[in-house]
Parts: sequence; structure tokens; C-alpha cells
Amino acid sequence: MASISKAEKAYIQSSLLSEPPLRADGRGLIDFRTIALESGIAPLANGSARVSIGRNAQDGGGGTEVLAAAKLEVETVSDGEGVDGGRVVCSVSCSPTAYPLLSPNALDDLQHDMTSVLNATLSHPTIRPKNLGILPGRKSWLLNLDVIVFSDAGNIFDAIFMAARAALWDTKVPRTKSVQYRAKKGDRSDATQAMDMDVDETAHVGSALDTRQSIQVSDFELPDYWDEGEPLDGKQAWPVCVSLNLLPTLHFLDATLQEEASVPLKLLVFYSFPSDATPLLRGMRLLGTGVSDLVQTKSLLKDGEKYARNVWVALEGKLKDEDLRRNQKARERFLNR
Amino acid sequence: MAQSAHDRRRINGPEESFPPIFDDDDEDITLNTQRSRAPGDIRPIFLQPGLISQANGSAYIETEKTKIACAVYGPRQSKTTTYSEKGRLNVEVKFTPFSCTRRRAPMRDAEDRSIGVAIHQAIVSSIRLELFPKSTIDVFITIIENDGIEGCIASGSLAASTALADAGIEMLGLVASCSAAIVGDEIQLDPSEAEARASTGSVILACMPALDSITSIWQSGQMSADMALKVILLQLNTRCIDIHSIVAQSLLEHRKSN
Repeated sequence: MASISKAEKAYIQSSLLSEPPLRADGRGLIDFRTIALESGIAPLANGSARVSIGRNAQDGGGGTEVLAAAKLEVETVSDGEGVDGGRVVCSVSCSPTAYPLLSPNALDDLQHDMTSVLNATLSHPTIRPKNLGILPGRKSWLLNLDVIVFSDAGNIFDAIFMAARAALWDTKVPRTKSVQYRAKKGDRSDATQAMDMDVDETAHVGSALDTRQSIQVSDFELPDYWDEGEPLDGKQAWPVCVSLNLLPTLHFLDATLQEEASVPLKLLVFYSFPSDATPLLRGMRLLGTGVSDLVQTKSLLKDGEKYARNVWVALEGKLKDEDLRRNQKARERFLNR
Repeated sequence: MAQSAHDRRRINGPEESFPPIFDDDDEDITLNTQRSRAPGDIRPIFLQPGLISQANGSAYIETEKTKIACAVYGPRQSKTTTYSEKGRLNVEVKFTPFSCTRRRAPMRDAEDRSIGVAIHQAIVSSIRLELFPKSTIDVFITIIENDGIEGCIASGSLAASTALADAGIEMLGLVASCSAAIVGDEIQLDPSEAEARASTGSVILACMPALDSITSIWQSGQMSADMALKVILLQLNTRCIDIHSIVAQSLLEHRKSN
């Protein structure tokens, strides 16, 4: 993204290839910059998070900054694109302040490319959360995950996926109760009732040979308006992304803009680590004008899994901390005020 | 006002329209997911270079239900004034409105661009762009019939590489591309749309078999980390070597007959 001169490109490449490898900020090849994460920053969204990589310690500025928010809306399953059981749709929008030198068309294209990577990984049917349905075959939740890039100082995909995972971890799905409307019958005392979905209809008025269609559940309501709901299913499923920047003989992580521009090839790997099973590769993309080969790809996958596991463990620890901070500790502070 | 006619160049039909539902639709769906070929077999490829005479190079590829025409114009002068030391490769993909079961609007779509980006990634490293400063090579891909996105990307990359060779543009090697889907425990190569939708994961691989190098890997869905992926890459790699010989043969035959 940054335009870089050939001399600078050669300088960065030769310092990375030297013994020991040198980077402009003195990091090692697999060291990340400081990552800051905060969840629950958009109170109107069902789940949200903000991630920044490489923020300045002094003034809190600079670095890659990404905000992700998940918002639920109801959609009908029968017509249009609704899917029984709910679905997830992702989009990335790049603020023009993040890329001041790009024309609006180029910005659109960039936005679109990031959206397609995010969508292809997170909207896949195999990763669909299980509690997004409302009325089977009729209504379901559509989860819109919107990611906004405020500033890009390199390693944007890692930031986007971390923010997406944190926002989805934080998302709460409102509890719904299905409602059935019944016309007033002769000796029935109550008319409109709310009933649970799996409670069977009691004595059917009329003869057993009555073949009229029994009244279906037709609508739903929120039993508690103020209840945020239950956490979104699939906390162990949302993947983390690791971008491996490739030079022919080595790879490194968390590149700054100049380092990204000096490297001809980048491999994005998306891993999720369910607690009891083997790690799952949820996506893989090769980006750039360079080429790789089978042997390198295999070793990169192995290394990528290692790095992804570190990111996963760290991120999970932080997310659990955030949960504690916002719920338990907030309550304690309130009680001790 | 803005809702009535989105497309002022055409006579628009009703705003909401649905494809007709036939009585025997259910049976068709189950039949489609049963494969008539072995899991390791790809569908036979028909590849014809030199289809479009006014383009510098062109190719038409057909594999069972995927039909793609590709035209290459270039190298020609870049419209933009910024100096670029290396040539630019511009890949544009368009779906014809009748290519899918539900009619696609003729306007450019989000999906067009993602396929264009994937094909660009597959072929860009094979072209010697440093020989064409200030120039652009335009690759226009028209998808006439679409049987799954994976098939489109794989066949589109093949067509693009053939068309570039037909145009006489210097390349480091021909690009061969193939896709695979994992259904349960089985790896099925070259999945059709129904098979890909029923699968838990898919991989599209583009490589240059002559140089034993990989130009693009696109994996989506879930797979056990390296187990399945390694097997797929090995299988896809060997398949790509076969496809490479098909591409080379069709180019040779075309040259001989001219």
C-alpha cells in the first residue's frame, strides 16, 4: 500500500536477510507490536470490539486501528436470502482517513477485497452459530458484522480478524418466545396466549377425523425487553488470522507498511482451536506477485499454526478478562461505591 | 423514483420475480450431489485458443457445465499518467445474465470482482511484466455458464493463461489451476456447484507445473489443519501437471492448424 523506492525495498530486504535479522523497530521476526483490545465499545450494537496494533505508548495514537460491531436483525427465511437457522454477513469499510492517498474507486476496491476475505471465512456454512434461528422455516436472525478500519499501519488482516472474533465473542442474541394466535372457541376461556415452542397443543376441539391444518406458530416476541440475551454460540469456532510475510528463505509476522511493500508474497492463514479437538484450518490465502512451492507451503502451515495458537491463547485470555471487567468487577465497584 | 428502473438502458421486468418451481425439483437436487465420476477425476476439459479474432489472444474453455470465454488485449498503453516500471495486469470478469439459475443483473457485481482478484492472483506471477513498462495487459473474462465459483476460478485461470500464451505475451510458465472439495472424509476434485455447496471445505490451487511453483491457494471452509490440506495439495498438484499438458497440447494444435 505504501509506495516505496527500490533502494528502500532493497534496504529492508537485506536487513531482514542479514544475520541476525534486523527490523526498523528492533523487533524479532516473529514479534508482534503491542496489541490493545477493548470490547463493548458500541452500546447500541449487540457486540463490539476495538483492536489496535502498535499504538504509541506516549500519546495513544498511530498504529493499526480497527473497530468491529455485530448487529442483529430479523429476516424472513422463505423469500430472499434468509437461511433457516440464521446467517452471518460481514463487511469491511475503510475510512478515507486510513488511506488518504487512495482515490475513492481504489478505496472501494480495497474495501471490497477485505470484505471478501472476511466474508469467505466467517460466513461459511460450517461456522454458522447454532442459536440464530427464531421460528424454524420462517424467521431467523441475520448477524451483520461490520468492521471499520480507522488507520492502517500494517498487518491489517490480523487486526480485522481479532476485532471480528472479539465482537462475536461479545455478541448477545436476544431471547425470543414464539407466539401463536388462536381464535376464540366456544368454551375456551382465554384467547391470545403466548406459549413455549415445544409444548404440545392440548385437547383439540372437534373430532379426531378433523383434517384441517393445525394452527402454526406465526410470530415471536421478546419476553424481556431489557435482557441482552444469551451469548452467541460458537466462541471456539471464530478463527484468528496470522499473516506470514514471505521472503524466499524466511518469513516474519506483523509487518509495518514499508515492510509489507518490500515483500513480494504474503500468506494468510486462519486457524481456530476448539478446546477438545485438533486445530481447524478455516481459510488460507496467498496474496502478492511472488510464488511459493509445496515444501514451503507445508512448513509455513505448521509455523502458522504455532503462531496462531499463541495469538489465540492470548486473545482468549484478554477476552475473558474483558468479560470479567465489564460484568463482575463492574458489579463489585457498584456495590462498593 | 430511484426504485423503479435501476437500469435505464434496458426494459426492466417486474421488481420482484422468482424462478418457477417445478414439481420434480426435489429429485433433481439429490441426483446432482451423487457423483458420476471417481473422486479423483476431473471433468473433461475442452480448450480452444484463438476464438476471438479481434483480440490479441483469446481462449474458450468448457468443462461440462462451466463455459468461459477469455480475451486478452495488450500490451497497450496505460491510460493512467502515473509511471509504472512494471506492466499492469488488469483482469475483469463478467457474468452473463443467463449464466446462473437465477438471472444476474447485468451491472457489475461484488462477486465479479472477487473472481477477478482470484484469477489475477493466479496468473500475475507468470507474466514477465518487467518487459512492459507503462503498459497494461487487459484480460476480459466472460462467464457464459456457471457451475460453482471454484470451477469458475479454476477454469478462468486456465483460459486466461491460454489466452495470454495465444497473444504471444512472454510468460515464465503456463498456469494450471484445479479445485477440490471435502465432503465428509472424501476429497472430490473439480466439484460442481451442488457438490461444493454440500461440502465442508474447498481448495482452489493455481500453480506453474513447469517451474514447480504455486501462484495461488484459496482455501475456505474447515479442514483438520494439515492432514487434509496436504493431501489435497498433493492431489491437486499432480492433477495440475496433467492439466498443464492439456493446455500445452491445445496451444500446439492451434498453432499447427494455422
